[in-house]
This record gives sequence, C-alpha cells and structure tokens, in this order.
Amino acid sequence: MPWEFALPDTLASAATHAAAPPMDSDAFAAFYERSSRLLWAYLARVSNDGALAEDLMQESYVRFLCAEHAPSLAADGEVAARLYLFRIATNLLRDHWRRPRAASIDEISEEFFSAAGGAAQAESRALLGPALQQMKPRERLLLWLAHAEGYSHREIAEVTGLAATSIRLLLFRARRRIAKLLRAGEEQPC
Amino acid sequence: MLRTCPRENEVNDLVTRGQWPHASAEELREHVRTCRACSDLVLVATAFQSVRAETVAAVPRLGSAGALWWRAQLRRRSATVERLSRPLLGAQIFALAVTLLAAASFFGYEARHGVGWLNWLEELPQSVGVQFADLSSPAPFGSAWFWLLAASAAVLVLAAGVAMLLATDKR
Repeated sequence: MPWEFALPDTLASAATHAAAPPMDSDAFAAFYERSSRLLWAYLARVSNDGALAEDLMQESYVRFLCAEHAPSLAADGEVAARLYLFRIATNLLRDHWRRPRAASIDEISEEFFSAAGGAAQAESRALLGPALQQMKPRERLLLWLAHAEGYSHREIAEVTGLAATSIRLLLFRARRRIAKLLRAGEEQPC
Repeated sequence: MLRTCPRENEVNDLVTRGQWPHASAEELREHVRTCRACSDLVLVATAFQSVRAETVAAVPRLGSAGALWWRAQLRRRSATVERLSRPLLGAQIFALAVTLLAAASFFGYEARHGVGWLNWLEELPQSVGVQFADLSSPAPFGSAWFWLLAASAAVLVLAAGVAMLLATDKR
C-alpha cells in the first residue's frame, strides 16, 4: 500500500508546511516588479540572447523561491535578496555555457541591438554591442556587474563565486580590453 | 601589469551616480584626460550605464509574477513530498527483503527436514489433471474442487476491485 494511504494527513500537512516560500505572494510580486527588468537586462546583455534571458530569468525566480536559505526581504533586505537572485542567474548562465551546444553566446541577434533610442544611446549601443561580443563570457559578467549594476568587488565575488581578491585584477584587465575595443570602434570611419 | 589609480573610486562614484562630468571638479576632469586607468573607467562605465538604461527601458513583456510564484510552490511541494517519501521507500524495500528472506528460509528448512514438499510438487501435475477431468464431468457442482476454485476466483475478483478502487482514489 502506498504511504499516502497510510499517513495522508500527516505527510500532506508536512509537505504544505515545508513548502512555505521565503516571502508571501504580494511581497514577491513587488520584488519581481522592482528587479525583473534589471535581471533580464543583465542576462540578455551578457548572453546576447533575449529569449534565453527570459527563460533563465524565470528559472532564477523559481529557484530563488524554492531555495531553503534564500534571504528574506524583511530580515536581510532588498540588496541581499537581489544579490542572491543575481547569483542564481549567474550560475544558470554558467551552466548554459558549459553545455556542449552553447551557440547563443556567440550569436548576436540584430533586432536585439536595433531598438529605438537617442543618438548618443545608439552610439553606445553600436560600439558596446560588438565590443562585448568579443569579450569572454566571464569578462562580460564582471563588466556588467561592476559598471552597469554598480556592484562592489565584494558583491561581485558573492554573485560570481570568484575570490574577492582576484576580482580587482580580472576587472582591470577586462576594462582595459573593452576600452581598447571601444576606442578602436570610435576611430573606425562609418 | 595592474596599474590602478588612487582616484578610481572617486571617478567611479561620480559616474555611477550619473554626476560625471557635470558635478566633477575641473581638476578631476583634467586628471581623467591624462590618466589611462581613469579614462578607461569613464569610457567603459558611461557606455555600460547608457546601454543598461536603454535595455531596461526596452525590456519586452515579461511573464507574470503570479505564474512564477505558483510554479515555485509546486516545485517546493513536490520536492518536499519526494524528500519525505524517500525513507518510506527504504522501509518498504527493507520489509520486502525481510519477507523474502523469511520465505526462503522457511522453504529451505521445509525442503531439508522432510515434510515432503518436493514429492508433493512432483505429484501436483497429475493431481491437477485429475481434478480438471472431474470438472469436465457431467456433474461438476458436486465436486469440492469446484467450490474451492469458485471461492478463489471470487476472492481474486474482490481483491482486484479493491485495488482498482484504491488506485482511482489515489489519482
């Protein structure tokens, strides 16, 4: 006889109790509203794939809610929760890159970089897109977290799992390299 | 080689807060023009912030928070049920192993200590053959074997019915 018949109430109530998420649905909806665009932007720009970014973003939130030790908004604050979320997303990205067919990393969709915007933005986009494409995935991660999200070295170490002491050097090298690419892009005639 | 500048943090703060170059001192702007580390920082950080703002503004319609919430709830619940059922499955396997061991010991003992199981098994086919012959006779209802067979079939049907009921109930 299956156990559900023997102990239905006990186990069902235990399962329901253990299934309590780190925040209630309203708090999660508000947190999602505040963070989902930023997370999507991070994943989309680092992976160069909008569809992949959406998939990974959804999976990140589901894992965030399922994680036993996820920081709670009330106790740990928004920053800790967001860092934890970015960490999950970064791990998912890394898993994606480790798979044998990671074609989307090296593919750039034209429409993704051709959205409407001002002249200065179009210039940034036109220069940064191809430059980012030439960077290694880890460099893209570091650059985005440092310069788009404004995270400190300690926070970047927390998100990426790299040693905090090596972040400075890795970031310095990545910045120097992309700056060179951006300058080279600026000098090229249209 | 790592050649950082002591003024990097100052420059980075201004860029991150969106105050570069308007809220910066002329002396700092002059420093950035001559310092490679700081000029790289300004170039890269402003490009990233501009692209970030633009990307966030152009985010497509994303999935609803409610759907993700329920998806996570289902996943947590199924993970919990799986975790709770793991020891029960172990106990079931253990009970089955003990039962099989006891049955094997019993049959082994009986076979060695002579209640005559092996002889009985050897004679079984002939015995069954005789009884089936009785069934095909003109008056089977008088045979005790017939009633035994009918009772066994009834118990089997009843047990199957109960099993079906339990399976349907579970679903």
